[in-house]
Amino acid sequence: MLEIIIKLSLLVLAIAMLALIYRVIKGPTTPDRVIALDAVGVNLVAIVALLSIVLKTHAFLEIILLIGIIAFIGTVTFSKYLEKGVIIERERDN
Amino acid sequence: MNAIIEFLIGFFILVGALLSLVAAFGVIRLPDVYTRNHAASKSATLGVMCILLGAFLYFYHLEGHFNSRLILGFVFLFMTSPVAGHLISRAAYHSGVPLWNKSVRDDLKRDMKKASAGNKDDLKKNNKKKALVSK
Amino acid sequence: MAFQILLNIALAFLWMFIKVSYDPVSFIRGYLFGLLIIFVLRRFFHSRFYLYRVWSMISLVLLFFKELVLSNWSVVKLVIRPKLNIRPGIFAYETNLTEDWQITILSNLITLTPGTLVLDVSDDNKTLYIHTIDIDDVDDAVSSIKNSFEKAIMEVSR
Repeated sequence: MLEIIIKLSLLVLAIAMLALIYRVIKGPTTPDRVIALDAVGVNLVAIVALLSIVLKTHAFLEIILLIGIIAFIGTVTFSKYLEKGVIIERERDN
Repeated sequence: MNAIIEFLIGFFILVGALLSLVAAFGVIRLPDVYTRNHAASKSATLGVMCILLGAFLYFYHLEGHFNSRLILGFVFLFMTSPVAGHLISRAAYHSGVPLWNKSVRDDLKRDMKKASAGNKDDLKKNNKKKALVSK
Repeated sequence: MAFQILLNIALAFLWMFIKVSYDPVSFIRGYLFGLLIIFVLRRFFHSRFYLYRVWSMISLVLLFFKELVLSNWSVVKLVIRPKLNIRPGIFAYETNLTEDWQITILSNLITLTPGTLVLDVSDDNKTLYIHTIDIDDVDDAVSSIKNSFEKAIMEVSR
């Protein structure tokens, strides 16, 4: 029973990621694409968690943290770039 | 007892997957960046948090392995997702992405106009500085 | 608060030394006894008894979860509904909070409330610009922000 539920959820997540990728490709503006990419990263975390249940291993659980951190940093960098045109500001005093 | 736990795991995982699906449909269906952000930053987060909770329960009860990394990921996602949503919508607003044409009210535009009328000299100075920097 | 926690740990170590047993169980036991002593003597400290503060932090986290679930429900309703019948808009909200971290927590909470999302904070940290999905519910949202969130955050920092 649990196995069926997990496989079904993997399928649902795959559909969700396809929908998000549609938005990444089409999205009229760059922030649209960034939002969709962020959601793709968050969905990847879920897929890794489910895969490690299916494969019955703990080896992938570090990757959850890594993908979460990288997705967050990617979003922050993109939004800083969009807003200011630079990512690391050199001028600290204004 | 085992049956209840198994039911809980299945419930969490299924709810999480469905919430992710709803978030993805919201991202496709809603009309502009800001409303899409509502769907993406809320539903996707709770969906993934549910799935992580389900995975944690699975590893704890059926395999007897207390995995603290899942809890860490849970807490991390919970803390960062509102911040990410706020940052990207702010960047979208300041880079000039328009609101949906049926939007009714925009207080930020009004206040920004007021502010820029108030210190236009300041703005000019800033622009000069920016030009210098870009050179 | 930090002083009380330090005193509590010192009392726990005192208990361990008195009992001459150095395992975690006796540490926890000593910590609980120290908590009791600090609770009895709470009127002699300058600040509040720190468990009150810990309790208000826990209730703040529970509030976060409640809002997250509620807002998900509203997003689900919005997306599933066949016709998009919304009137989005941006409204300004004046906040009474002053510290940076308070405003950070408040804007995170607002982002998790049903149908609202913080767009920008003005330079003087006074005004939050909030994008809402349905401008008709603004009064509801403002009153819930004022009455429950700001109060809960003030409770932590008191």
